[in-house]
Amino acid sequence: MVVNTNNNLVQNTTHKVVIPFYVYAGLSFLTATVLLFLSDNAFTQHYFQPRTLAITHTMALGWGTMIILGASHQLVPVLIEAKLFSNALAYASFVLAAIGIPLLIYSFFQFQFNGIAQAGAVLINAAVVCFVLNLAASILKSKNKNVHAVFVFTASVWLLATTVMGFLLVFNFTKNILPKDSVRYLSLHAHIGLVGWFLLLVMGVGSRLIPMFLISKYDDAKTLWLIYFLVNGALISFIVLFFSAVDSFFYTVPLTAVLLALLLFANYCREAYKQRIRKQVDKQVKISLLSVAMMLLPLIFLAALIALLLFSFANTKLVLAYGFSVFFGWLTAIILGMTFKTLPFIVWNKVYHNRAGLGKTPNPKDLFSESLFQKMGLAYLAGFGLFTAGILLGNTIVLQIASVLLFITAALYNVNILKMLRHKPLIK
Amino acid sequence: MNEVITNNPKKRDEALAALHQVIDPEIGLNIVDLGLLYQIDFDEGNKIVFISMTLTTQFCPMGDSIRSNAGQAMQQAFPDYTIDIDLVFDPPWSPERISEQGQEFLNR
Repeated sequence: MVVNTNNNLVQNTTHKVVIPFYVYAGLSFLTATVLLFLSDNAFTQHYFQPRTLAITHTMALGWGTMIILGASHQLVPVLIEAKLFSNALAYASFVLAAIGIPLLIYSFFQFQFNGIAQAGAVLINAAVVCFVLNLAASILKSKNKNVHAVFVFTASVWLLATTVMGFLLVFNFTKNILPKDSVRYLSLHAHIGLVGWFLLLVMGVGSRLIPMFLISKYDDAKTLWLIYFLVNGALISFIVLFFSAVDSFFYTVPLTAVLLALLLFANYCREAYKQRIRKQVDKQVKISLLSVAMMLLPLIFLAALIALLLFSFANTKLVLAYGFSVFFGWLTAIILGMTFKTLPFIVWNKVYHNRAGLGKTPNPKDLFSESLFQKMGLAYLAGFGLFTAGILLGNTIVLQIASVLLFITAALYNVNILKMLRHKPLIK
Repeated sequence: MNEVITNNPKKRDEALAALHQVIDPEIGLNIVDLGLLYQIDFDEGNKIVFISMTLTTQFCPMGDSIRSNAGQAMQQAFPDYTIDIDLVFDPPWSPERISEQGQEFLNR
């Protein structure tokens, strides 16, 4: 007879909470690539136009944010070693965002900022409030507050700042509640989201997961705190500069701080890699590590943009390439890699939790197709490279070929997710 | 690797041989070489085996399964005993606890 006297295990967030976020995100990625195919001309024009706005928000909210929200509900308990405060709030954040995001995207596509867009903005903000409250309550209840948890919580506050600003921008189109027109604030809205939400969160979670998956002894909280202050300092100084209406030259200050933070983070990952105990690195982790290097590409475009602005020369191709390299490059690469590191555990636990000890179970990595994953990776790299080239060259044929490759990437991603979710237990 | 504490070295070896069959599904390494075991004590009077073990992280999604597998493996090796497994996280697991054989396996 086996008895267990204690239950010191931190309870996993139920798969019922997490899986809907992953499925929604996968479908959003697929939708974005379809929109990309239908909008090749949009990428040879100015960035402020209906299709570009619709695609950007499909990627930022439907793909990036939804999957990160889902994964955070699972990963934050890992970081703080405590249970998620409320499943109900997690469900609420999913339902509210899942309804709000298409409303907003539809409105962008139609270029109408009426009641539908406003309802979408309200719902998305409500979803983010539920998420932030859930995170705050979980962290407050936990005894273990570490640098990774601080990264994640701060990122969630920046996410709220981003969506509140988005809400104001949407209402400003019809009610003039801001001193200037909404387009004027786009770069502020975008950078609070990119740097405050995505960058800070990826660094906070990545700095914990990458050494964990590599089984590395490396740990350097001091460097992580330095990165934290550099990124937040960069963002705050960017906001101050934005409202001071100073010369473009001063934007090199936050840019340098972010560049320094990225180099420190890349070095952190390199050290973790060097000190790894497990020599063999699987392809999912390799793609995630590649995405760390891909963080530098948007920065190169941004530095070129600032340099051109110094000579009062705005280049819309570079703006588009910058945005594309963030959402379809860096963020997509990290999501493609990490999905197949995190979701197999969630599904494995759902299927085999009560069957352990009854026979030999498959490993989590056996729940998806490695061959499909490889094909997806190749299609992605080719599609991303070609599309970026297509933007810079202004060539619609290259853009169309690239968008087909990106569509194939998204389709293979979804097929593999479906394969995992449909996994039936091999032991009864 | 830290030594597994016991009040019965002979039976401990038998227990370790059984627990060698329990694999962490993500890492592919058995829980003995992974250094997850802290203590194995035998209460001969009441026929109970007390096991104190840890996991690579307190949140390990495989935690329940690994504990359950360890219990099954021990029950097969010691059918007359009740198996009592205690999960502890102090001291926390660290990669230093991996045995030389384990390190060799992971370095392949």
